Amino acid sequence: MKLLAISINHKTAPVELREAVFLSGEETKLFIESVHKNVLKEGLVLSTCNRTEVFGIPVNPETQHSQLQDYLLKFKPSGNLKDDHFQKFISRDAVKHLFSVITGIDSQLIGDNQIFKQVKDSFLVAEEMQFGGYLMRRIFDHAIRIGKRAISETKISDGAVTVSYAAVQLTEKIFSNLNKKSALVIGTGETGEIAAKHLNDRNIGSLTVTNRTREKAEALAEKLNAKVIPFTDLKNSLHNYDIIISATSSPDIIIRKDDVVNAMKQRDYNSMIFVDIAVPRDIDPETKKIEYVFYHDLDSLNIIVEQNLAKRKAEIPKVEKLIEEELNGFFEWYNSLQAAPAIKDLRDLFEEIRADEVDKNKNKFSADDREKLDIVTKRIINKILHHPTVELRKPEEDIAGSSDAVAKIGIIRDLFGLNKNKADNTE
Amino acid sequence: MTATIHTINFLLPVVYLITFLFYYTDFYRGDGKLINIKRVFLFISLLLHLLYIVLRTIAFDHTPITNVFEIFTILAFAIGFSYFLLELVTDIRGTGLFIIIISFFFQIISSLFIEDLVEVKEVLKSNLLGIHVITALLGYAGFTISAVYGFLYLVLYKDIKLNKFGLIFNRLPNLEVLEKLSYYSAVIGFITLTVATVIGIIWLPSAFPDFSYMDPKLIGTSLVWILYAIGITSKIMSKWKGKRLVVLSIIGFVVAILSTMLTNFLAKSFHSFY
Repeated sequence: MKLLAISINHKTAPVELREAVFLSGEETKLFIESVHKNVLKEGLVLSTCNRTEVFGIPVNPETQHSQLQDYLLKFKPSGNLKDDHFQKFISRDAVKHLFSVITGIDSQLIGDNQIFKQVKDSFLVAEEMQFGGYLMRRIFDHAIRIGKRAISETKISDGAVTVSYAAVQLTEKIFSNLNKKSALVIGTGETGEIAAKHLNDRNIGSLTVTNRTREKAEALAEKLNAKVIPFTDLKNSLHNYDIIISATSSPDIIIRKDDVVNAMKQRDYNSMIFVDIAVPRDIDPETKKIEYVFYHDLDSLNIIVEQNLAKRKAEIPKVEKLIEEELNGFFEWYNSLQAAPAIKDLRDLFEEIRADEVDKNKNKFSADDREKLDIVTKRIINKILHHPTVELRKPEEDIAGSSDAVAKIGIIRDLFGLNKNKADNTE
Repeated sequence: MTATIHTINFLLPVVYLITFLFYYTDFYRGDGKLINIKRVFLFISLLLHLLYIVLRTIAFDHTPITNVFEIFTILAFAIGFSYFLLELVTDIRGTGLFIIIISFFFQIISSLFIEDLVEVKEVLKSNLLGIHVITALLGYAGFTISAVYGFLYLVLYKDIKLNKFGLIFNRLPNLEVLEKLSYYSAVIGFITLTVATVIGIIWLPSAFPDFSYMDPKLIGTSLVWILYAIGITSKIMSKWKGKRLVVLSIIGFVVAILSTMLTNFLAKSFHSFY
């Protein structure tokens, strides 16, 4: 099977080059349309902010990776992208790479769970564009299955690996029921917004946003279905919130220790969580000395992130084992596809010769022996064909693309003159 | 039957230890593979323990509450059983090791020193005494569990404050849950201990000629009772919370243990029976 794959990803190219070659949804469709006509019979195009990849079976078996690369770069001229920035895979390695991508072990953020959906979506686009053929569809089934298995059978996606998610995990170690708690997000930066989204996903009781520029706060509040308070009210209303996430670009401390001391008195020392994800910090770190105040900044959240990333890394071998299993499953199917017609043709040929010879010579045998003749000759043929049959059915172990199994089948067809190459119709 | 009792007496610490190891391994690994097996083991241990208590009662013709080692085995059972119920009701399954280890300790001490006591004072065969002691022990079991969760609360509180995100942080339930578990165990312990005390005060003077209100055990228990009464009242009036409450629970537990130890081993009291 000649499946080509090229990949530009976080391991091969810096972010500006990855951005340059990124294909939007519309561009992906246009690219598929063009590449489908000219280069690939069937395939898959995946483009995210971290990677752009093209998989496919070439129309012309002689097509090389470089031609596919050139085609992509011609479609989306990306200045400084060179041959070095591409990873190239073929056949089993290409499928393996796709499986590694969908399980998240190839991601920058190991076990990233967005990539599964992105790969799934790109398969759906390929299908929609009639770019997903017989083989790609089968690969798709296996890819989806391995993606799901990795999540359910290993811990590759366990634990928080982003600062904003770690903040939520931390609050859940302090409060039991977030739907009875209120949270305040200070600043409209991206990290704060993501943390707020996570809190919303966990059904936070009430969410409030505040910002120096009120319009920005209102825009974010609308997105998050949150309330807005004026920035000037911040200090006086601190005590109303159980969780405070601060991510402003302010160069100075916004919340001082005294403010927190007052807030705690007002709220009768009910626990309060401060998450400071701003650089430089927004909240006086001294607040952590107050009883029932849980103050955490980027450094402490990063401890959680690092720990979880290390745990995920330790899960990679388990995922790789699953990938091997899934790969074997796929190639067993693929091989049987190739081997079955060849085996049948071979057996038909032998049977034809045998029947012919028996027919010609049966008069030389007595009536009693004819039946025995039939049995003995059949047995000889079965014994001769046993080993070749087993060999042909063995899973394909090729790496270079021109597989052993395919070569064997070709040789057998040549040697025995089985000229109708029925395996062709599988591609 | 005595042979069976001896065998079970030997087996009980073993099964508690195995159950503990299951809970420990599950806690350490955190993959949930043993989550059901460990509960089954706890159930088997408790069933065996119950059988042991029943057999002892029949064979030696008294409920095993007449000396400290008999009481320890009942206490081990009461703690294990209370935890089992708690696990079933709350479905919080990660903290069992901290409680089962206590059952194990009480049981191993009991198993080592318990004797086949046939001759007991007539008064100790009374049913009312049985209820008195069993409610008192359930009360202590409640306090034990409360103290364990209180202790875990303090550890987790400190870990979060100091940015220590290790096993404790990853496996324990959150602070609010730990506080609740500690509080409700204390409330249940308090109620049962109250029942025990009421029965004791009504019945004991008539049963024991040398009964005295200045008895050290009585004073000790009253102190424990008052401590928990203060804690629970201030929680209800929402004056106290968090650390202060769990510290009180731990102090209450320590006082309760000390009072039991002292009165049973040292003091000449009508409460120590041997």
